[in-house]
Amino acid sequence: MTQFRIEHWRAWAPGLDGAADWHAWQQAPFAPQDGGEQPDVGFLPALQRRRLSRLARMAFHVAWPLADAAGPLPLVFASRHGETPRTLAILEDLARDEPLSPTQFSLSVHNAIIGLWSIQRGDTSEMTALAAEGDGLEQAVLEAATLLGEGSPGVLLIVAEENPPALYGPYIDDVPFPYAVALLLRPGADWQLQLAEGAGPRAAWPHALELVRALSGGADSLQHHWKRRQWNWSRIGA
Amino acid sequence: MSDLQTEIKNLIIEALGLEDMAAEDIAADLTLFGEGLGLDSVDALELGLAIQKRFGIKIDAEAKDTRQHFANVASLAAFVASKQAA
Repeated sequence: MTQFRIEHWRAWAPGLDGAADWHAWQQAPFAPQDGGEQPDVGFLPALQRRRLSRLARMAFHVAWPLADAAGPLPLVFASRHGETPRTLAILEDLARDEPLSPTQFSLSVHNAIIGLWSIQRGDTSEMTALAAEGDGLEQAVLEAATLLGEGSPGVLLIVAEENPPALYGPYIDDVPFPYAVALLLRPGADWQLQLAEGAGPRAAWPHALELVRALSGGADSLQHHWKRRQWNWSRIGA
Repeated sequence: MSDLQTEIKNLIIEALGLEDMAAEDIAADLTLFGEGLGLDSVDALELGLAIQKRFGIKIDAEAKDTRQHFANVASLAAFVASKQAA
């Protein structure tokens, strides 16, 4: 069993940004149209912004204000699909027998975003990039809980998914729209997460967005299934 | 300012994703790497690739004078012109 406190959260999706947007969304969830809009990262100088993909901008946009308020912190970044637009661009160059872009190549690896985060924040705390399955949120919380257990005063957690390129569309069915969620986890006993074995229906929305629904709407428990894993979230004392 | 210099400035902006910059913002003698424009080693590789593609020339990354050729837009233009003439 894993216990922790969620001190702050932020989320972004096309057309959904502040807490009020998400409060409205959780009352009547829908899949927003993706018009390709980029979340604001104006807190970075242009020379630093240019290396950020949309996925990176989403991650920075949600997590940066939390980090500003909290100071240096370990970070757990989870994305099942990662930088699919970059990796596809590289594969297409390769197929055309063209030289690969060093920038695309160096930023295509799964831990590139946390590398940029570390450089641009000047934060050398422990950082981890995970690619789990549809329950990446829970796997990331488990990872964060181990860091809290080792004495870290807090852990930043980011779950982010970009709209996959059309070519991958038929193979990716768990990204209804691009989204990013950041949590600031602290030691404490407000929430607990328990893993049990059991099958059940898939959640209507990606797990991180289901958690946003619960946090924004005040729900006391969540149950998420992925394969034979049953994740039970509950507010302690609720 | 030569056309070749302008073309190289635009290539730098385009290849390196320098949002909010225009060719006029890059003086021909502005240091490109480290100081000046503030580009880094990944930019050096990316720019080298872009120059090779655009002008159909070969650049030897190991050659001692490559660093000098990439000092600024003026030296790059002189280098490209000499390679094209060769």
